Amino acid sequence: MMGWAEMNEASSYVDLPVVGKPLRRIDGPLKVSGSARYASDFSFPEMVYAVPVCATVARAHIAAIDTAAAEAMAGVRKIYTRQNIGKFYRVSKASKAKIDEARPPLDDDEVRYYGQYVALVIADTFEQATAAARAVQVRYTNVQAPLVSARLDSDKPPETETERGDPDASYEKAAVKVDHTYSTPVETHNPIELHASVALWDGTRFTLYETTQAVMNFRAVMAQMLGVPTDSVRVITEYLGSGFGGKLWPWTQALLAAAAARDLKRPVKLVVDRQMMFHNVGHRPSTQQRIRLGADASGKLTSLRQDYLYQRASLAEYKEDCGEATGFMYSTPDLRVTSAYAERSVGPATSMRGPGAVPGLYALESAMDELAVALNMDPIALRLHNEPQIDEKENIPFSSRHLKECLTRGAEVFGWSRRQAKVGSMRDGDAILGWGVAACSWIAERFAAEVAVTLQADGSVRVASATQDIGTGTYTVIAQMAAGLAGVDVEKVKVVIGDSSLPPGPWSGGSMATGSMVPVLIQAIEQAGGQLVQIAAEEGKRFNGAKADQLAFTRGRIHRRDQDPSSGVSFSELLQEAKTGHVEGHGKAEGTFGQKKKTHSTHSFGAHFVEVKWQPELARLRVQRVLTVIDAGRIVNPLTGQNQIEGAVVMGIGMAMFEETHYEPRTGMAVNSNLADYIMTSHADMPPDMQVIFLDYPDTKVNAMGVRGIGEIGLAGIAAAIANAAYHATGVRVRDLPIRIEDLLSESRNG
Amino acid sequence: MTDDTTKRFAGVPFTRRNFLQMISVAGVSSGLASFHLHAATGPGPSAAAGSRGAAQTSVSMLVNGQQKTLSVDNRTTLLDALRDHLQLTGTKKGCDHGQCGACTVHVNGRRVNVCLSLAAMHDGDTITTIEGLGQPGALHPMQQAFVDHDGYQCGYCTSGQIMSAVAVLKEPWGGDDASIREAMSGNICRCGAYKNILAAIKQVKSA
Repeated sequence: MMGWAEMNEASSYVDLPVVGKPLRRIDGPLKVSGSARYASDFSFPEMVYAVPVCATVARAHIAAIDTAAAEAMAGVRKIYTRQNIGKFYRVSKASKAKIDEARPPLDDDEVRYYGQYVALVIADTFEQATAAARAVQVRYTNVQAPLVSARLDSDKPPETETERGDPDASYEKAAVKVDHTYSTPVETHNPIELHASVALWDGTRFTLYETTQAVMNFRAVMAQMLGVPTDSVRVITEYLGSGFGGKLWPWTQALLAAAAARDLKRPVKLVVDRQMMFHNVGHRPSTQQRIRLGADASGKLTSLRQDYLYQRASLAEYKEDCGEATGFMYSTPDLRVTSAYAERSVGPATSMRGPGAVPGLYALESAMDELAVALNMDPIALRLHNEPQIDEKENIPFSSRHLKECLTRGAEVFGWSRRQAKVGSMRDGDAILGWGVAACSWIAERFAAEVAVTLQADGSVRVASATQDIGTGTYTVIAQMAAGLAGVDVEKVKVVIGDSSLPPGPWSGGSMATGSMVPVLIQAIEQAGGQLVQIAAEEGKRFNGAKADQLAFTRGRIHRRDQDPSSGVSFSELLQEAKTGHVEGHGKAEGTFGQKKKTHSTHSFGAHFVEVKWQPELARLRVQRVLTVIDAGRIVNPLTGQNQIEGAVVMGIGMAMFEETHYEPRTGMAVNSNLADYIMTSHADMPPDMQVIFLDYPDTKVNAMGVRGIGEIGLAGIAAAIANAAYHATGVRVRDLPIRIEDLLSESRNG
Repeated sequence: MTDDTTKRFAGVPFTRRNFLQMISVAGVSSGLASFHLHAATGPGPSAAAGSRGAAQTSVSMLVNGQQKTLSVDNRTTLLDALRDHLQLTGTKKGCDHGQCGACTVHVNGRRVNVCLSLAAMHDGDTITTIEGLGQPGALHPMQQAFVDHDGYQCGYCTSGQIMSAVAVLKEPWGGDDASIREAMSGNICRCGAYKNILAAIKQVKSA
């Protein structure tokens, strides 16, 4: 048994009770009974409904907006256009507040993308507002053909993002070479929860019920753009119907709703409909990536080049950072990553789950598979052969990298040794099986965070922080961490989040919310513990007059420093004895994300193993089996954690085989802007066999509990693993996602 | 809506034909998107255009065991009636086109995507929503199974998944996993918790 002195060392935070247990979500009963409240579930007396009028062209000048017919319709209270919406301000870069579509809504008479809001109808009911929005007549002039071509050509010379050695020379000399271009299409986040804003104005302050992954940033943006003090805006997101990055930063509907609420002095509800969701609230931009790999005859990489293009919206500077993981994935002396963009007349792009790394690793991990084929080498052996000792991009050690074990452990469990390398050689009855593998990586950093933790006389613990649970299980994992630190059962912890009036919490993005909470929870609970120690010393009786410096606080118990915690008293007993209701501790920590000087490269790693089943007579490709091995530090809750990885794999099946937003060339409209034509993975598409293994190496360079993030890494690499498996089954190398049946048919029949 | 549906509608026997007449008078917009009907014109329903300009219909439904009578705009979907008129917000709007299943409730014991069904068509119907299935402390076995197996992430599609799952077990589907998956495929979970949803359904099925 570990003594209390050892337990008090920093390393003990990785072995807290409750942390690491597959507990059911504490908010589960609310979610399964319809009791969890999402933004659009809020209604208020006197509330009116807002429905935007959207542009039906992508590039044009608005000559006139005729609202007369709509204004005469029943229930219509007001119609806003540029003329009467009032003043919006711009977000200053100096403020560090983030918004992708920085142009305020209805700011001028120019249309820059299909679906752009050009007017807003307010009526007493949703039906009235919807009907009236359709009756608003917009006349356009100077209508120009939109730039929506899916094929990207650079508008500007490429920028070099990272470079080492002389990759051109070493490529020329390489014994084995691979040179291919891979493309990924525009993908739309499509959380099932529609973006929504319910705005209240009380004459001084706004209360905004929003669909956001970052209530603090939302407040900062809204205060600036509405021209009110930050403390006059409160943003609430009790529950979020997921976001996948699409709900990180505010979108313009929130400003419209807030402005209307202020003007009309009534609560306003605005729900963005599904078609608008394809135009007005972001997407993952398309990419085209040329990968050139050179290797010696043994398979050692000698040169790696990635030259990529991404689609950029006319209105926003969002960059899809496809080289995010390229510089450190594999060891090679010579490497260069360059990027350039092609501007398109579409709504702003934004981060989508695993931004940059997900399309980037699709390309790199596909190219690695092609290199293995060219070398006649096993793709796992190729990756193991090129494992770096350090992060060669930054020239610093990895904090905790176990990619080799992800590959070897996965190979063992998947049965990789039974793989026959020859294309189409593995059979299951009449069907052909294909096995593919790909590696993955994602950043592990922390955002700035604050928390208040209250230890209460009834033995309960309250944790308050303005972070969010976007479906990842934040309510539950915070409760677990707090319970472990405060020495109580999880049922005793109340987690209060999703409200900007709480201490500023981390964004729910970058897979960093959980890890960001670790240092501040420790700090807050120990600060509360310090107060308990003082209370015990002042009381005097309990510890025979021991002074504060002779006492300690360990996992919720106050005890003599020279004795075991079990000899002491629980915080609840002490508070009751002292007739004190509670003690409250605060935690505050700076983030590590974006900091320049780093001593360690902190990333998570993993490997996907995929079996596809190809039935040529039916032209049917199915993902049959997926095994994912993840090295993401200490996993706080394996039940919700596994769900994160499996969910990402499910989304990855969509990325590999179904998802693509198509823009119509005349109008610039996303033509498949509905959930029947934009195909996402359904129950029936599920692999019958899915497995997740967590290696569970705590990474204490990221935080004291060794917790990294798991929300995004599962989507990295999976599309490559599927495409590699499809190649192994069919002999067709699909380099333009999604993999279409016709791609497989046309070439495999020839072959 | 099926051709053989015959229900009382504002006191008038309701058939497909007079339903079309009625909504052509009211004008279709709202949740039914740009769905234009050009039915033969004829006398409208008894509840003619009122002060709000659109016809209102009085509907009486048994919702979660309680008799509810409300006057709805004829364009109001049952989904919006449940959410906006009865404050039963557990039923969610995800697409308004019948493509995601988030709005699944039970109408006379069968699962229906109520974003595609006008409230005015449901006079006399028995409706069960997620709130009526069970509440914390007294969850329905399917709700409990979703908690046990983490059959969700964000929770937004969950009400629809659960209502569908409860109905699927009464429908004539095969008993294997593939049949359950097929039967559940009208309910999209973008978070991808399908494996756990299947485990939850199987737990209830085998109980």
